Amino acid sequence: MNYLPMIIIFPLIMAIIMNLLHGKENIVKYLTFLIAIILIILPFIGQYGYYYFGGFGVIDGWVSGIAYYYNPLKQVVLVVLAIIASLVLITGMGEKLKNNMFVTLSLMGFASVAAMVLADDLFNFYVFFEIISIVQVGLLFLSGTEEAYKSGLRYMIMGNIAASLMLLGIAFLLASTGTLNITDMKNYILSDNPMIFGGLLLLVVGLAYGSGLPPFHNVKVDLYARSKGFISAILQTYSKFILVGFMLIILKLFNGLSYFSGTHAVLLALGVLAMVFGVVMALLQSDYKKLLSYHAISQAGYVATGLALGTPLGIVAGIFHAINHVIYKSALFLGAYIVSHKKGSDLHKLGGLLPIMPSVAFMVLCAKLAISGVPPFNGFQSKWMLAQAAMQVNMPEIAIIMIIVSIGTFVSMMKAFYLIYLKPVDEETIKEYQSRGVPKLAVFSLFILTSLCIILGIYPEIVTKYLFSYANELGVSYCLK
Amino acid sequence: MDFQIVSFIASGILVIIGLYGVFFVDNILKKIIALDILGNGVNLVLITIGYNGGTIPIKLPNVPVDVFAKKSAYPLTQALVLTNIVIEASMLAVMLGVSIILYKKYKTLKSSVILKED
Repeated sequence: MNYLPMIIIFPLIMAIIMNLLHGKENIVKYLTFLIAIILIILPFIGQYGYYYFGGFGVIDGWVSGIAYYYNPLKQVVLVVLAIIASLVLITGMGEKLKNNMFVTLSLMGFASVAAMVLADDLFNFYVFFEIISIVQVGLLFLSGTEEAYKSGLRYMIMGNIAASLMLLGIAFLLASTGTLNITDMKNYILSDNPMIFGGLLLLVVGLAYGSGLPPFHNVKVDLYARSKGFISAILQTYSKFILVGFMLIILKLFNGLSYFSGTHAVLLALGVLAMVFGVVMALLQSDYKKLLSYHAISQAGYVATGLALGTPLGIVAGIFHAINHVIYKSALFLGAYIVSHKKGSDLHKLGGLLPIMPSVAFMVLCAKLAISGVPPFNGFQSKWMLAQAAMQVNMPEIAIIMIIVSIGTFVSMMKAFYLIYLKPVDEETIKEYQSRGVPKLAVFSLFILTSLCIILGIYPEIVTKYLFSYANELGVSYCLK
Repeated sequence: MDFQIVSFIASGILVIIGLYGVFFVDNILKKIIALDILGNGVNLVLITIGYNGGTIPIKLPNVPVDVFAKKSAYPLTQALVLTNIVIEASMLAVMLGVSIILYKKYKTLKSSVILKED
């Protein structure tokens, strides 16, 4: 028997149960810990291959029911998602307010993102796309501030426009092929039909919204910056893996077709714009969370560029960068959460935290070096692969932009490190720091994420060896003249 | 005139009205209504794609699959529209709830005030 759908069904059922446990803090705590362990096991129990809900499968060439497709690449992505989700759940156990709502929403988010990565059916994908946008806004509202409600409403209005346009695109694809199953649709999509092209471009609108590429980067940054520290960590993980799931579907359907070249250009442009916008805006910020959020957009641009190249190496590099990015950016957001326990997130008011918590400072410094692409951390490995992939298709300009953006990242990250940890402060502030505690569970999660950064930086083949087989299937090798 | 063409034109008009309302109307409630109109336009596109002048799509046990497929309307789109209506209703409900919270704070429904960047 194939237990693959348990990856989606288990978190959804637990989300419903958690929703009923309002006010019972102790049960919620133990159950959360149990769920956090089970989540890591879930990606290993499914079998590779196609799975059809309802048990009918394919009858006389007619595909019936929702379909999922599972392979080593998706398994790696789901394992990383599960690790980060359970670390964030464990971190959340230390918080007191509305804990069961936080667990409910993050489990729903986990289920939706897992379904989007696995989906072999466009409408199932769309349904979970809508669920995840409600979940993200719900997680944002947990912080309860007025700014959170404002940016949540803005995010939802944008989301409704993007989702409607994306559904219109799915309707176009359905009208011209007569099916929604992606493997099936691939057989009918070969013709040069303008309606299919329109559908593809409307799908890109949904992609840009789901992953925070321009023109939707502002609402996404507000979403990250205004939720609590450890919640931003899970939010940006969702966005990166939505991007990966979406790009896998677009590449599976369209890669190598003659009319895809125009969309290549659009996707590459979106990626490069996101990289540059993100890092330029990050250099201007004086709020630490906002700075990190703009970097999340900038790194999403890297992932999108790698995947949009469409070559096997580009796809591997893009997905590897997505994995690395969620690891070190989650570490940075957890670091920001620990710092906010001491004294907010305004860079001009902070300083002198190095003697107070040297181990946290060291771990955050590792994550900062990883995001700037310094060896031997994981960010270096994937950025190097991305630059190689860009050179392989004869687009050196993209490789140059990537390196320049890396330098910008390094500058703003070191600025933030100086302002938070090294800048000298007076005696009173140090006393204030010492009177406030450190969330121990967050430090534990931070430690695991930092060790993952170093392990993946030294042995990248732990992850990359699983990515190549499916990337070779999807990718098309080419070289510009 | 052909039913399908009229329906497509109507849905196109709905989508354009919806997009216009979202971007250019200041009142937050009207914006949300415009989003509803946009969604309904897309739903109408889906319904129209499925309509081919056939019968209602209920497969009886004694009808073979290929005869059923030729005679009936396309049932997939109807299922999609039902699902989409449910999703949209929940999205709009959350948005209306948030606008009530913001209305209590600002005593106005102007989106230029409520949603102002800061």
